[in-house]
Amino acid sequence: MALKYLASISHYVPELLLCLTMAALILVESTYDNNVKGRSKGLLFSTAFLGLIASFTYLVKGLGAAPVKIFTGSVIIDSFSTFAKGIMLLGTGAAIYLANQSKDLYEETKAEFVILAIGVLIGGMLLASANNMLLLYIGIETLSILSYVLASLRRNDERSSEAGLKYSLYGGVTAGIMLFGMSHMFGVLGTINFSEIIPAMSNLTTEQALILMPSFVLFFAGIGYKIACVPFHMWSPDVYEGSPLPVTNFFSIVPKIAGIVAVVRVTNVFFAGDASIVRESWVVLLMIIAAITMTVGNVSAIGQRSVKRMLAFSSISHAGVMLLGVLCIDELGTRAILFYAVTYLFMTLVAFYITSFVQDQYGNDHFERFSGLIKKHPLMAILMTTVMFSLAGLPPLAGFVAKFNILAAIISKKYYVLAVITALNSVVSLYYYMKVVRLMVLKDSESEETISGFTVPNQIVITVFALPVFLLGIFWEKILMLAGGALILVK
Amino acid sequence: MSGHSNLLSWILWMPIVGVLGVLLIPRTKETLIRFWSLINTVITLALSVVLYMKFDPTTPGMQAAFTIKKAWISQFNIFYHLAVDGISLPMILLTSLLFFICILSSWTVKKQVKGYFALFLFLQSSVFGVFLSMDFFLFYVYWEVMLIPMFFLIGIWGGENREYAAVKFFLYTFFGSILMLVGMVALYFVTGQGVDSFNILALSGGKFASTTVTMFGMALPFAKVFFVALFIGFAIKVPVFPFHTWLPHAHVQAPTAISVILAGVLLKMGTYGFLRIAFPIFPGASVYFADAIAWLGLVNIIYGAFCAMAQTDVKKLVAYSSVSHMGFVMLGLAAMTVQGVNGAVLQMFNHGTSTAMMFLLIGILYERSHHRWIVRPDGTKGFGGLYTQLPKYSIIFIIAMFASMGLPGLSGFISEALIFLGIYNRFTTITVIAVLGLLLGAAYLLWMFKRMFFGEVIEENKSYTDVNSREIFYMLPLCVAVILFGVYPAPLLNIMKASVGKLVSLLAQF
Repeated sequence: MALKYLASISHYVPELLLCLTMAALILVESTYDNNVKGRSKGLLFSTAFLGLIASFTYLVKGLGAAPVKIFTGSVIIDSFSTFAKGIMLLGTGAAIYLANQSKDLYEETKAEFVILAIGVLIGGMLLASANNMLLLYIGIETLSILSYVLASLRRNDERSSEAGLKYSLYGGVTAGIMLFGMSHMFGVLGTINFSEIIPAMSNLTTEQALILMPSFVLFFAGIGYKIACVPFHMWSPDVYEGSPLPVTNFFSIVPKIAGIVAVVRVTNVFFAGDASIVRESWVVLLMIIAAITMTVGNVSAIGQRSVKRMLAFSSISHAGVMLLGVLCIDELGTRAILFYAVTYLFMTLVAFYITSFVQDQYGNDHFERFSGLIKKHPLMAILMTTVMFSLAGLPPLAGFVAKFNILAAIISKKYYVLAVITALNSVVSLYYYMKVVRLMVLKDSESEETISGFTVPNQIVITVFALPVFLLGIFWEKILMLAGGALILVK
Repeated sequence: MSGHSNLLSWILWMPIVGVLGVLLIPRTKETLIRFWSLINTVITLALSVVLYMKFDPTTPGMQAAFTIKKAWISQFNIFYHLAVDGISLPMILLTSLLFFICILSSWTVKKQVKGYFALFLFLQSSVFGVFLSMDFFLFYVYWEVMLIPMFFLIGIWGGENREYAAVKFFLYTFFGSILMLVGMVALYFVTGQGVDSFNILALSGGKFASTTVTMFGMALPFAKVFFVALFIGFAIKVPVFPFHTWLPHAHVQAPTAISVILAGVLLKMGTYGFLRIAFPIFPGASVYFADAIAWLGLVNIIYGAFCAMAQTDVKKLVAYSSVSHMGFVMLGLAAMTVQGVNGAVLQMFNHGTSTAMMFLLIGILYERSHHRWIVRPDGTKGFGGLYTQLPKYSIIFIIAMFASMGLPGLSGFISEALIFLGIYNRFTTITVIAVLGLLLGAAYLLWMFKRMFFGEVIEENKSYTDVNSREIFYMLPLCVAVILFGVYPAPLLNIMKASVGKLVSLLAQF
């Protein structure tokens, strides 16, 4: 038994490395003295990046390996989760870099941000790998509790505290609902292990199915709230708005992707079988949720004055698009989600990075602050334009290919109406993304003042993040193959 | 069948070479940028002429000697597939000619020269992409990519209200094309995701006559539903009547060269879409909807003409006249007869040249007057007696105007006559009313001409100078085209005849 656990650990190295990094960071942070802040800060960030890089290397090595169940079958390591973890890891690394540069975070809380972000990442990775309901719950809670702290990181700022409070209240309630749903499901199926649920699902009696469906909806509330899909999205604009910008950037990537990955796994566990009535009703429900999520996210984004808030709403609609891939419950859909997640990661990063530096310069991130950016920082303005067009889904950029993949997945299932709704949503989204472009390119700037955040290294980092947005629009065969190879394990 | 098979790739990528060149030239060397762009378009034009020379007019459909097909995305069977036939060749020629002329006419652009020419050449490449792609996915990519340079060209270098016009243009066309995307992906899956599922040529031939699609719980005929989706996408581009509202704004606000390209080439992409995609892929549905298309075309003709008549801004007048003229193309398409479709393709080319002339002339005038009012909002005349003031200009203007009006001996006449011949048997009523449209066309153009060129010379017009040699130089090829194809349209008709015949015989089976 002990030996088995030891063998399990060898598959769990990336997460353990991150735990070690976190511990090391706490040690470094305790030496974080005002006098030696500069040196200490450098040490802190290099430790963090070292840990992340080591973990990432292990993940990449594990990609494509045969799936294994470890820790007595409660955690599953397959290419699907590894791929998703890689995306989350990159997102965390980028968010940490931004936190280092940003002025929106107090200097003395930067260390806390780094530690907490890595904690959230560990929770997200657990969520991606969980093969039983309880671990899934623990994953979500790890993710959530640390997120509450992150949201209120600007202690003296009322709105930040409000964000944290709102987040935790909402999170607490949904966690309770989720647990309640899970207990019912355990009652019906007699197991919490996903591997045992799959066979159990295929021979349900009608009564069991009748109880299972509502309890699954309760269960879904917990995950739905993490990805901020309608009707569990109310918290997100305020939290995104109130949190410091690097935190918002982080929230719109890691917890969201972790949540989507969890939905994919759970949906595949419960509905991939041939239990057709439950499956059909779940697909219909998910269709409605996805369609409304996209629409609400997009329509709300139109009226925003702050770019950060606009991006927050648009990230809701992107979550809706990714849900479309979930409801296909097939390889095409899953592959599309993974591809979407990759492109979404890079697009969001570039958008948030640029917004962050603009905000640092002017004190707010209203649309008008972007005007005339092309004259002052042509490269940045061009990249931001590209990313905005890509987010709206214009070819030949990565966002278009991602949307095309999702559309292909749902049309292959003949959900034409849904496809048209998705398509029309793209048009709506183009409208508000174009608002940024219009100001940057067509308007004259308010002042001659250049933005000090766009230093050469920062510009290089942004350019590196923007490159995939161009390249994945044209050369997407390889990454699609990689995502296709990382299809979900259902056993 | 010899070694010129990469010619289409050269045509497609040559403007991109131009873009890269422009980007490498320092921003301050504006003349160098202009000359480089000019040389680039001359090379492209030369390549198109080579294509014309090597083209075999007797072969219907795609010419194997030029076809290029390479795998792009294997998972979705997407190919880099270029080919040319008798329908796309006139469009290629028109595109390369107009872009060459527009570079010359853009010589006076002063604002951000580098960005302008880079975007302009980029636009040219994406237009070629639309006319050359035979892979539906590739076609869609180019169709959409084209919006990006267009948005900036209108939005940065346009007139006073340019932002509104650019945004409206962008959103409107994006809306149309996104429906096309859904239709395209649906076709891919209906045909079984095979090697040919994105191949426009292999999809055509009416394979979906009996396929149904379930929407809102009803089983609808697949071909009709997706024909409508494609129709909206293309109709917005043409623009067909209820979808035309973006056009006057875009035209009025766009700088001269962009108006020329918009009216001369981009509108043709819509009708080209019908000829290349909607009709061949869904012939049954096309025949089914032919009446509707013809009536919409008629509305375009009459409504466009009346709108044009009411305008006091001369550029808006010409913009609405484009709506009217594209109505004739739609009529020719709806006829689905050999004469009708030949006439439509010829009209696409001829309208490209004559409207381009009109817009260029208005641009030339605008550079002198800085306004375009025939009658100002306060009721005073904007222009008067230009004929005595600018004789050379007036002669070119008369040629352009008569060509646009369809006077015998000039290009517009031949194509409109062919269209009427083609539709008469099928839509007699429509033909009769449409002829009335010709009359209206003559009315608004002559009335405009009378108000601007005859009468007293108003004070401010006295300072205007006549056309200079650069302007004459770039108007000349268009004048030649307008007169030549009015007297002797055979060179164009010959190349399109075989391909049009193939399409018409396909449609005749339904």
